[in-house]
Amino acid sequence: MSLGPVGPAILFALPLAAAIVVFVRPRWSVPVALAAGAVQFAVALALLGVVLEQGAWRQSIGGWSAPLGIGWRLDGLAAALLLMTAAVGLAGAVFHASRPPPPAVVPDPRFFWPLWLFLWGGLNALFLAADLFNVYVALEFVSIASVGLIGLAGGAAQAAALRYLLATLLGSTIYLLGVALLYGRYAALDFALLAERVEPGLVPAIAAALMTLGLLLKAAIFPLHFWLPAAHGRALPAVSAVLSAVVIAAAYYLLVRLWFGPLAPLLGTGVATLLGLLGAAAVMWGGLLALLQRHLKMLIAYSTMSQFGYGLLVFPLAAAGAVEQAWTGALVLVLAHGLAKAALFLAAGAIVLRHGGGRLDALGGDQAGVLIAWVAFAIASASLVGLPPSGGFLGKWWLAQAALATGGYLWLAVLMAGTALTSAYLWRALQAALRAGGETAAEAPALSPALGLCALLLALGAAALGLAAPMLARLLDAVPGGPG
Amino acid sequence: MYLSLTGVLFVLGLHGLFTARNLLRQLLSLNILTTSVFLLFVVLARLAEPLDDVPHAIVLTGIVITISTTAVALALVGRLAGRTRDDDAITAGDPRGDAE
Amino acid sequence: MALVVLAFDLLLAAALIWLAWQATRAADLFHAVVSFIVFGLLMALAWVRLEAPDVALAEAAIGAGATGALLLSALDRLARRPRRHAPLYEPGTAWGFWLPAGSALLAMLTLAAWNLPAPGLGNEILASLSASGVEHAVTAVLLNFRALDTLLEIGVLLLAAVVIWALGQAPPPLVPSMPSPALPALGRLLFPIFVLVAAYLLWRGSHGPGGAFPAGAVFGAGGILMLLAGARPWIRSSEHGPWRLILSLGMAVLLAAGVAGTLSGQDFFQYPKGTAASFILVLEVAAGLSIALLIFALYLRGKPREHGSWGAAE
Repeated sequence: MSLGPVGPAILFALPLAAAIVVFVRPRWSVPVALAAGAVQFAVALALLGVVLEQGAWRQSIGGWSAPLGIGWRLDGLAAALLLMTAAVGLAGAVFHASRPPPPAVVPDPRFFWPLWLFLWGGLNALFLAADLFNVYVALEFVSIASVGLIGLAGGAAQAAALRYLLATLLGSTIYLLGVALLYGRYAALDFALLAERVEPGLVPAIAAALMTLGLLLKAAIFPLHFWLPAAHGRALPAVSAVLSAVVIAAAYYLLVRLWFGPLAPLLGTGVATLLGLLGAAAVMWGGLLALLQRHLKMLIAYSTMSQFGYGLLVFPLAAAGAVEQAWTGALVLVLAHGLAKAALFLAAGAIVLRHGGGRLDALGGDQAGVLIAWVAFAIASASLVGLPPSGGFLGKWWLAQAALATGGYLWLAVLMAGTALTSAYLWRALQAALRAGGETAAEAPALSPALGLCALLLALGAAALGLAAPMLARLLDAVPGGPG
Repeated sequence: MYLSLTGVLFVLGLHGLFTARNLLRQLLSLNILTTSVFLLFVVLARLAEPLDDVPHAIVLTGIVITISTTAVALALVGRLAGRTRDDDAITAGDPRGDAE
Repeated sequence: MALVVLAFDLLLAAALIWLAWQATRAADLFHAVVSFIVFGLLMALAWVRLEAPDVALAEAAIGAGATGALLLSALDRLARRPRRHAPLYEPGTAWGFWLPAGSALLAMLTLAAWNLPAPGLGNEILASLSASGVEHAVTAVLLNFRALDTLLEIGVLLLAAVVIWALGQAPPPLVPSMPSPALPALGRLLFPIFVLVAAYLLWRGSHGPGGAFPAGAVFGAGGILMLLAGARPWIRSSEHGPWRLILSLGMAVLLAAGVAGTLSGQDFFQYPKGTAASFILVLEVAAGLSIALLIFALYLRGKPREHGSWGAAE
């Protein structure tokens, strides 16, 4: 029994089983969650090795092949995202376990643990899925778990959670309509099967438009971003981290999966340019709004909206011919963003605990206990901005090369301007630390150094991605049926 | 004819979702929207020769998911209404969220 | 004859559109919710007309019944408080945008839908049905061909119950303000019938329309009816009691069935040769029971009390 086919089953079943265990026996929450997390991290790492060695594979579920059965697909992209999920999930769990208990706004804060593990399981299911309807079910699973986790922060967060729920439900319904049209046309839901059958035409075009619209809403891409900042800014730190780093990436993952898989024949220049322009607008608008924020966590939340704009640049660049570079660049950027953004939110969580609030003008003064957190913040910022040798640098470098190779100077300009904005707003946050005369929480709890360390490890991971360039290039090498 | 019904219900649901200012009403609209998508699936099953049961299973799954999401939304509406003492105050009309 | 059928379909469609309109636009929220429930019931008729009896059963029990009860009880709570006077809709300018946009969308969708050849998978199902362990195709799809979806779906239901518990305490049980002295007696009378119907549907599921989903839904709806009739909810949230385990059982059993395949060296969810029928029977019972209990748990709208009964606290 080799790890190949067993690994995905473990990644699917383990978090869900652990979630049930900690729901039934809340006393065991922390040890069970951490043990399950550690195992998942190890399995995801091992699977990445297997994919590097053997290449991608598809495995069927229940012994049924498509079109009747469902399958899982594991390729470099899926393996990389599963590993990123495991890294963020584990770091978030350690962070949450070592923080002082959050204010009691809900009946039992221990419900964090089953919801956390359910979310993790849903995300793994989503990254493995290779079937349009299975994706829908997994998306709903992830949405409900996210809503529950946001709601744990009580008060205004619950209002944000409700707005997020309505937005994301609308997104899934629109997506499902697209799925229905494709099913009615081709009687298939499996990605690979659809990739063979889809041809340009009216029905596939409408279906593609609907599915894309639904996913853009879920990925909070401009101008459908209205729900994101409040939901991500007001949640508990670990929750903000996983939502911004992984849940948004999951919606984005599906977008590229679809457009570089079943929908590839439909990816014309017009569509690609439109998606690219949306991405450019997101980069600029999100960056500007981040610059205007007065609250540390809101600043980071707006930054998420801005950073995923880069991800959409893959479409125009790939359609223009630079498929390999655009694909690798955008996906490395998403991975680096995930690690760096989770680090930022965890660091911000520790800093907010220390200062008793997150207003930027109150973060100066005595930083005892959160120095590591600020170091992590700085390193993660360096990766987001794209300083070499970070993962952010590598991603932007590849995207820029793709833009140069295809003469896409507009996209190059967006890349530059976005970088300038990113440095500006992150510098504002870092500057706040150096200011004199900040506030300290009234009954400042003794903060465990583990809080800062979790953030630091993630930030170092984001930075180190840049050093793994050859490995990443090989991992993401296989563009699944790129256009043209 | 049931195909056209799908379209009409979809538009009604969308319209309701975007114009209603009351959360409960938005939920009803969303449910109608989802039902219209289910209707498309079942019509497709009916048009197929022989009758296709996969969409039936899909819609059954979808119905169970829909009641789950509706219940979560209603629980949230209840919490929020209980706190603000005014359910009309919480509308989706204000998309700007500013912490603190 | 054909004419009568056509007239019936037209009437049904018109009624559905009118009810959907009422549900989204009626000035009174109660009116809107009732319209929605009737909409659900008529949808069940439409499913029958479209030869989807399984969906019809589930729609009647879940779409109209359980969702309706959820909505009504939510409404009852909201309506108790004094209410600021706010406009129900965005100002009328919305019409200018929505009428053309809606018509365009409608035209596009219908055009697209009419063009669909709808090849379907009917033949594939017929070819594999004998190997699936059940005779009824919908059950075969749910618990064999696409069992992974079903696992996640029960997961969504359990997850929703956990989220609702996490968000807050359940309010004390609601005895509806609709004054009907007959309701308690009727509820008690009907409950055994609900249980019988559920058991029958479950039993039928392997060879005809029915099975875990409608059965679970009917059972759950029966439980809600008992609550409406004034019964005390019996689910407890104590971490020492059995209820958390019982609620999770359906998902746990499905997960175990999935993992069993992997452990025996086959695909995830691949049942060992010749045992599919018994596997599916166990899964159906587990799934049906947990659907019933979870739907009932959703109706409690919060984390139930740890111990004891509601009566003592009131």
